[in-house]
Amino acid sequence: MVRLSDLHPVEAEHLAARALAMPAIGPGEWVTPLPLDQATVAIVSTAGLHRRIDPPFTVGSLDYRIIPGDTQFDDLVLSHISANFDRSAFGQDPNIVFPIDRLREFASSGEIGGVARWHYSFMGAMPDPSQFEKAGEEIGRLMAQDGVDIAFLVPI
Amino acid sequence: MSEAVIPPRALWVPFPLGRPLGAVDDSEFQKNVMRTAFRLLDTAVEPTIEDYELQAPGEGSNENWSCPLNLTPESSGSLTERLLAEVALLRPWAIETRRQRGRTLFGASGAREDQVDELARAFASVAETGDVTSELVVDDVAWAFETPLLLRHIADDLRTFYHEAIAAQPGDTVPDHDALNQWIFGETVLGEALLSVADGLTKASDSPMAQLVRGLLIPEGHYRGGSAFPQQTNFPINQET
Repeated sequence: MVRLSDLHPVEAEHLAARALAMPAIGPGEWVTPLPLDQATVAIVSTAGLHRRIDPPFTVGSLDYRIIPGDTQFDDLVLSHISANFDRSAFGQDPNIVFPIDRLREFASSGEIGGVARWHYSFMGAMPDPSQFEKAGEEIGRLMAQDGVDIAFLVPI
Repeated sequence: MSEAVIPPRALWVPFPLGRPLGAVDDSEFQKNVMRTAFRLLDTAVEPTIEDYELQAPGEGSNENWSCPLNLTPESSGSLTERLLAEVALLRPWAIETRRQRGRTLFGASGAREDQVDELARAFASVAETGDVTSELVVDDVAWAFETPLLLRHIADDLRTFYHEAIAAQPGDTVPDHDALNQWIFGETVLGEALLSVADGLTKASDSPMAQLVRGLLIPEGHYRGGSAFPQQTNFPINQET
């Protein structure tokens, strides 16, 4: 998340108001995962990222898209509705948003135990994040069945 | 926002929106960000937000960026003619970027990557007529959205084409979000078309979705010097998807 002082003043004012209005969500149950070098890691993105064959995100989307771990970058697009972030960086290097190559490198070097078979993408920018609870619990169950120990959330 | 959500372990990063790992094509920097986040698994014993202090390499180096192409169009042509001429000037560079990368982000609207002229013509026609709600019929394009939301994604595809075009140009300086917006809205016919479509959305005052789409079309601060988001917040939200 960028510093508000680095944003256009109009955008900074907008985001500050959104943050103030955002309803608080209590902390979840505290979980201590396996040591990192034994843990399987999945990426959860909020960039509105999906494969070309998937339906795009739209206004108010509360659902998610699955991203198989062997998806190629040329099959990934963004349909996030916000005009206020820079897509050119993702265009140049998708790892800056979806660092799947970095996870593979960590797995190869033994820094993490493994990379999940499935990863997940939402479209953020929702004023009330509690509306994602149902979908969040669903992907939690999916990740558990996939043997995932750590969800690495990457906001856009 | 993380303070409201209270994630178990969060690393706050000072990078621009759209760049959560900080630096493109810099695997070591990206891995350092990730390692710092992963270390919280060992150190945090309660919900924790830690600051990442390092700046991304190259950040702030695009202050002097400018597009080397002279896109100043003939002022006598229609908006459609001028936009198509601008697209034609950029096309060789966009093709080169796609060749180098072997991929493109173009296509969110449903158009194929070889249909940028069709997109430009359709978008300019909306800008000229101000009709932001009628169905856009273009031969051989299967739109992924309906109007007016479609207009936001056509704009995104056109901006992607422009961004991919300048990505191939010589020089080490890469424009960031601010520089790209200054260029689009200050120097291009596309920027003129975007503002005209936004005006059309403003005039469709009986359509809450049109007002929302205006806020999704124009980055904050670039619509007549202010916000494109309307004050009203009770917009149609699809809760079923």
